[in-house]
Amino acid sequence: MPAPSEDLKLEIKKLIMATLAITDIDPNDVDDEKPLFGGDNALTLDSVDAIEIIMAIQRTYGIRIADQNLARQVIGSIGSIARFITEQQANPTT
Amino acid sequence: MIIQNFNHKMAAHCESGTITSLLNHGGLDITEPLVFGIASGIFFGYFHKMKSFVFPTFIVRNKPGQMRTNLEKRLSVRFKTYDFKDPVKGMQTLDQLLQRNIPTAAQVDFFYMDYVPSWERVHINVHFLVVAGKEEGKYIISDAYFPKMAQLDGLSLEKGRFAAGNMSPKGFIFHLDKLPAEIDYNKAITKGIKKACFYMLKIPVPFLGIKGMRLFARKVLEWPKFARDTEHLSHEIMKINILLEDQGTGGAGFRFMYATFLQQAAEMTGKPALKELSGELMQIGDGWREISLFSARIGKNRDLGPDKLKQLSEMINDRADVEERFFKSLSKAIS
Repeated sequence: MPAPSEDLKLEIKKLIMATLAITDIDPNDVDDEKPLFGGDNALTLDSVDAIEIIMAIQRTYGIRIADQNLARQVIGSIGSIARFITEQQANPTT
Repeated sequence: MIIQNFNHKMAAHCESGTITSLLNHGGLDITEPLVFGIASGIFFGYFHKMKSFVFPTFIVRNKPGQMRTNLEKRLSVRFKTYDFKDPVKGMQTLDQLLQRNIPTAAQVDFFYMDYVPSWERVHINVHFLVVAGKEEGKYIISDAYFPKMAQLDGLSLEKGRFAAGNMSPKGFIFHLDKLPAEIDYNKAITKGIKKACFYMLKIPVPFLGIKGMRLFARKVLEWPKFARDTEHLSHEIMKINILLEDQGTGGAGFRFMYATFLQQAAEMTGKPALKELSGELMQIGDGWREISLFSARIGKNRDLGPDKLKQLSEMINDRADVEERFFKSLSKAIS
């Protein structure tokens, strides 16, 4: 499985920030592997933001994250979202 | 000791996941969506004024325990069930089953499952899990919502099994007792779908099925009169999101899980129409997810402008329309 590109990671950061109307953070300041929920990431998101992100990913990439258990793992960090999208684009399951 | 060959798997929903685990351990190769679909798990009910609820609420699946009993009827599997008045007897019986290498499902109050972080734990008396062993006085728990097997001390498990309140577990446990030599999946799937269609389209109760959705759409406009203030109302509206997305529904109020069931059912029954309907239900689920998001935004932003409830009502009514068409098509496809 190819590793997700840096461009994709940046695109995801921009998508999240546009979706959640976050304007005061530079996407480059968001660590790819730090947890998006809690922790000391530049973005500190909550459960409502989670569903916003899930739906934004679906609209943008046509990938549905149906199950919540999977969703929790996928949207854990920018890196995990990027890996999931790359994997789904290579081998779609939904 | 941990029961030999017991495999822990995460699942979308605790009850269907627990039943699937027990069946898989017993040697039946069946998926969680198939268990859910054959058991006619998909449902809708709206409760505007009920003694047991302080605020109007709704359900998106059949009642707890019904998946197991429906599955027994349709697959001819048998589960042995026990409930207890005496916690000591309840824990002794569980220990005896574990000593006999029998993985045993238990109904618990989720709040006492302290392997889950405290901020995720709430009092829900109808959480199901599998007790898969006991080591050094601690129970080995396979919980569909937890990524790996967990340990739980006896006192916490006992508190969970014998919690008081609405739908109290009363120490309820069950395990697989008998698997049939052969299963007629075609018949089981057909019966499961027919019953689901009956529940959604024809059940003669005004607050259940599609009629329940339409009632919900009308009555949500009256929710402000049940609320103490805006804060309370926003919180209750936000619960729509929790009920649809956050309580082990597999997403979109079980619609995505039922769609997966239909996809598998299409292959097993040789009815390609079910696969098309599966795709349709995924789209319907997206609409429920829009309702989740809409409700969550209201809750988060305390944004209760004059048209918000009207918009919410229209969105729910729209789901009723599309689900009525969907279940009519499903009923036709399976007949």
